[in-house]
Amino acid sequence: MTRAVVPLAMVTALAALAPARAAPVISAALTDTTVKVSSDFNGARIILYGAVFDPSATPSDVVVLVRGPEQAVRITRRDRVFGLWLNSRPVVFRGAPGFYRAASNRPLDEIATFGTLRRLGAGIDHLAINAPEEQRIETRYGVRDVVVSRLGADYYVWRRAVVRLKQAAGLYNEDGRGVRFVDRGLFRAEIALPAGAPTGVYRADILLFQNGKPVAQRSRALTVEKVGIERALYVWAHVRPWSYGLVSMAFALAAGWAASMAFRRD
Amino acid sequence: MDIYLPIAEVAVNAPLIVALGALVGFISGLFGIGGGFLMTPLLVFFGIPAPVAVSSMALHVAGSSMSSVMAYSRRRAVDWRMGGLLASGGVVGAIAGVEIFRLLRLLGQADLIVALAYLVFLGVIGGLMLWESLGQIMRRRAGQPDPPHRDRRPIWLYGLPLKVRFPRSRLYISVIPPLALGLFVGVLSAIMGVGGGFILVPAMIYILRMPAGMVVGTSLFQIIITTALTGVLQAGRNQTVDVVLATLLLVGGVIGAQLGARASSRFRAEELRAILALIVLLVGLRMGLGLFLTPEEPFVLMTGMAG
Repeated sequence: MTRAVVPLAMVTALAALAPARAAPVISAALTDTTVKVSSDFNGARIILYGAVFDPSATPSDVVVLVRGPEQAVRITRRDRVFGLWLNSRPVVFRGAPGFYRAASNRPLDEIATFGTLRRLGAGIDHLAINAPEEQRIETRYGVRDVVVSRLGADYYVWRRAVVRLKQAAGLYNEDGRGVRFVDRGLFRAEIALPAGAPTGVYRADILLFQNGKPVAQRSRALTVEKVGIERALYVWAHVRPWSYGLVSMAFALAAGWAASMAFRRD
Repeated sequence: MDIYLPIAEVAVNAPLIVALGALVGFISGLFGIGGGFLMTPLLVFFGIPAPVAVSSMALHVAGSSMSSVMAYSRRRAVDWRMGGLLASGGVVGAIAGVEIFRLLRLLGQADLIVALAYLVFLGVIGGLMLWESLGQIMRRRAGQPDPPHRDRRPIWLYGLPLKVRFPRSRLYISVIPPLALGLFVGVLSAIMGVGGGFILVPAMIYILRMPAGMVVGTSLFQIIITTALTGVLQAGRNQTVDVVLATLLLVGGVIGAQLGARASSRFRAEELRAILALIVLLVGLRMGLGLFLTPEEPFVLMTGMAG
């Protein structure tokens, strides 16, 4: 409850400043700017509050885009070979965000045109993810630097699969009702991070649309980090993998030895 | 009560994983095997990325085998010389296995090879064991005596050079078959995330012709060495060992193993073998079935590895 009060106070303070400018302005704040991944972490919900200041009272749309740190995606397809379902060679998609959420007060295609959404990377269909290792640049029909994907027409099938699997894991989503106006000019959006959300710096872009054009923008950063024992173990396992392996194995053997001593029947 | 695993990067229900460790530990103590063949598929089923499940299992298998081998060594039921020889083959096999596993993962074929290995090895061994134990049960029901024990050892076992005496097992054989067996089990241990007891135990009885009383303790000793090395190598090369997951499994596992070892005296040996054979066969078929059934989702995201 107290969380909601703070942004409200901030909004009133900002509202006093607003009439000074004619251009529409958008502002926003996150209830939490860091998410701590500790041993009891099982996902998190972050609330984003914001306000639209527009003296002209033009109808406004708000789009919130949250992108997680970039994470290469390896994906394979099961193909039937001699009656067996085998994995194909994996395709690596780069530039894909590890987490993506597009929330808006009404469906994105009603807010802006395809071209605008594509340019802003707004919406799952407009995410820029590609498989560079499957691409080569060549000259075709006298046109230089044409990007050709070896996946060919299959590219879209693969790309859709990436999105579908990420959606199933709760890592990608799009919600045409995810931004709610709770009062005049004041809006609220929820960002739900699943337990499998990658760690790193997230960026939330809050865009104000009027007449199908983005007119104002704000960015907010959100850090998801492992803390405490989780962080210590993760860092140890990756920075000094050999000592981590030796110590954890010694621990396992000692546990087995201790158990046999405890259960010893004399 | 959910707990977040730092390496697997998923949250799991802690009591559930401890119970899983206890169940597999119980089976392991009951039958004198590591139980990895059962645990790895179950962990994958609960959402742990396969590479992490395979690697973290090594810690669990080593820990629970350690717990049992102490009991066997007190009964002087471990042939250290044979175990050491098997283990030195196993060490080479494990190093090769970890590299093979790494290569397979990069090629995206790890799932296929793991599924095939499960289907072939568990299917064949489960089938043979079931056949043998059911035959024995039927003979006993019919009141027939056991067929005379064929003590004729295969000639090739004696024809090979480099013979060594194994006083505890009362054997005088070449070092090549135990070394080769150890090598083979070492590779499997790294690829399948198992200790390899389910292959080692029958192989020691039927191929090396070791006395039955020595087999389980010696196999557990070799498993400790091989899986300890596999675990350290997986951590060092692939960074896929999750110590939190392994700890949860160990807590249940070491207790379950001791209870299982006590319960084993209540059953007849051939009945135990028949039950174990059924479990082995079912797990093998379940894993292999995935190769033949049309998948609902043809695409698979490969998690648990960077890049």
